[in-house]
Amino acid sequence: MDENIPVYEVTDANTRLIHLGSFGDLWRERLQSCDLTLAADAGPIQDNSYVAQDLGCTEETAAELRLICGVDALKCSENEEEDLENIPEDSSLLTLGIRKKIIDRRKETLIVERACRQETFLHELEFHAVGKRPEDAADMVDEGELVLTLNIVYPVIFRKHKEYKPYQTMLVLGSQKLTELKDAINCVSDMQIGGEFSNNPDLAPENICKDLFKSAFFYFEGVFYNDTRYPECRDISRTTIEWAESRNRGYGKFQSTKMEDYTFNDLRLKIGFPYLYCHQGDCEHIITITDIRLIHHEDCLDKTLYPLPIKRHWFWTRKCSVCSMYTARWVTVNDDLAPDDPCFFCDVCFRMLHYDTDGNKLGEFLAHPYVDPGIFN
Amino acid sequence: MGTPGLKADCETILGRFQETDSVRFEEFAAIWKDMKFSHIYFGGMRNLEMSKFAREALSVASHYFLPPYTFQIRVGALYLLYGLYNSQLCQPKQKIRVALKDWDDIEKFYQDLIGAQHLDAAYIMRQLRLSRAFHFTGMAEFLTFRSQRNQPRHVGREEFKDVRDRVQDLVTSETLEEMLNIHEHYQKTKCLISADKSQPDRSLSLVKEDYVPNLKQLLSEHVTWKLEKGKPRTKNDDEKEENEEEKEATSQESEKESSERAKTLARIKSKCYGAVTQAPKSRRHRQVLMASSESSSDCGGKNTQKSKRKRRVPRKTGTLKGAKLGKLTKKASQSKKNMPTIPEEDSTSSSSEDNFVPKRTRKN
Repeated sequence: MDENIPVYEVTDANTRLIHLGSFGDLWRERLQSCDLTLAADAGPIQDNSYVAQDLGCTEETAAELRLICGVDALKCSENEEEDLENIPEDSSLLTLGIRKKIIDRRKETLIVERACRQETFLHELEFHAVGKRPEDAADMVDEGELVLTLNIVYPVIFRKHKEYKPYQTMLVLGSQKLTELKDAINCVSDMQIGGEFSNNPDLAPENICKDLFKSAFFYFEGVFYNDTRYPECRDISRTTIEWAESRNRGYGKFQSTKMEDYTFNDLRLKIGFPYLYCHQGDCEHIITITDIRLIHHEDCLDKTLYPLPIKRHWFWTRKCSVCSMYTARWVTVNDDLAPDDPCFFCDVCFRMLHYDTDGNKLGEFLAHPYVDPGIFN
Repeated sequence: MGTPGLKADCETILGRFQETDSVRFEEFAAIWKDMKFSHIYFGGMRNLEMSKFAREALSVASHYFLPPYTFQIRVGALYLLYGLYNSQLCQPKQKIRVALKDWDDIEKFYQDLIGAQHLDAAYIMRQLRLSRAFHFTGMAEFLTFRSQRNQPRHVGREEFKDVRDRVQDLVTSETLEEMLNIHEHYQKTKCLISADKSQPDRSLSLVKEDYVPNLKQLLSEHVTWKLEKGKPRTKNDDEKEENEEEKEATSQESEKESSERAKTLARIKSKCYGAVTQAPKSRRHRQVLMASSESSSDCGGKNTQKSKRKRRVPRKTGTLKGAKLGKLTKKASQSKKNMPTIPEEDSTSSSSEDNFVPKRTRKN
């Protein structure tokens, strides 16, 4: 069997190493154009003559087959007005019986019957781009393109995330470069603004860490893929490589190369295996490729929308301690005026409390801009 | 995290389809309608829940579409996928995930369908493909490296499986013949190079002489065992056994407290000790022996000990009348004659039972 056909290396955990481009080729050579086409309509191939040709039977048989095997043969009730909401009483299905019990119990305890806000958002996020086609035909995804599903874990170390590690999920195309994924990953540590600005908060610089420190790397299968697109980028994987080589630590020799030179199709990876994305020096995200498949005509077909986020963890936002309404923008320490140390404020409350009308600082405190993990919500 | 009952429902419909002994779509559709299977999507699930459920339903059904299930079950699963796919209520429809490693099987299955003129099944397969109901994936499941734990593995119903004999796949009559030839050739060559031309040198006797006949015998034994095992257990059989067990239980006062669970445990144990596995080559010097009632008294004694332990005889058996005890042990040793013993390791019996065990061995 071809080595690029994924099979389990560890059962239910990850596959053996495969070359993604060759994996796509293997699928494409097995399939026909009718499987791969991205056209909205399948065309005349549904006709009886085609059926007869494919199955090696007469056209009359084909017509008969269409009659017998049509989807209508499985309709359970004749009347069109089926009650989709309620579960029929006489059902023999186990699943329905259990679901009915759950619904009944829920009805007893529930006060408001509607979708919860998070569920709505999750659904919107997952389906916002489904079925989208590009306005410009040049942006159309190629037939038989690979779509990778990536889980990118947030580097949170809160106690409450001990059991469940929050992550975001993205769809990436096989022909996309690693740098395109890098630019699409949102992380609060890219948004931080360093420094203390209690003396004049208006002077807080606009440029965030993302613009100052552009170095980052992906680590896949013994190779560090460094971002070297900009002159200020540094090879931040060097420390690790040197550390591994300084004494014989048994990690073998790591390689480093340029992130912008590689697309996902060029990589050799294990599906389901945890890899690493590191940026801002030490902000580390575990990345897992949970799935690889060929693109489908009902997927988002606009190339420009990829990498496409389809799932994101919902973070609690930290609210301002004064108004308890707006998301915190400032954090103060050693603050005479604040009840807590550190204490969080939104922009308006922060200025109202800590400065007089002329903008003079009142009391002693240190103020830092604060970026909430929930800003991407 | 599976939806409870879903797998059972799928197995029910496939089971009923299996009973019809047919692969016709009309039969399936009749069962489908009778069970009102498309109602499985009812109950006012919202979009997110609905698509998740549809995904799961398709994933459960697609397991049965692939080997090791029998041809009929696979056809049934194909119909089931067709039904589940087309009756789902989410928009866009969730797709059936196919792994690359399984595609060749599916392709072959389709060719078989056409070859055997099962046109209804072939038509439906073609229809699913044309409506692009498949996602062509790397693996059938999402591999999240255990960020969601305790997902149970798919365990299908045994009755649906195509009973393929690995042993028979491996050793066919041709290979046996081939082996016999090779062995003869080998012997001849050995004869040629040894001093005495009629018989190979003793230093050359590195394999067992009767290797092929032995293998053949093992095979035929395996076949008979397979036949025995394959016999469908009728309800009658089960009941009979149950009755016997009950009789036994009532005849032994000491077993009053042996619960239902203990009994089933004992049954399972006796079943698995009934068959002896062949030790691998590297351990053939420690082959597990099947101890029978004909074996030496020493062995038999241990045997009874063991079976006693299995049956959870409480300590107070010591108070029983001697005659009764004798009868008891005899009975036990008869009913459990298939206990294996590993001679080297059995020399020390656990000391905790020593206080009543010696008595019994003496009685024996």
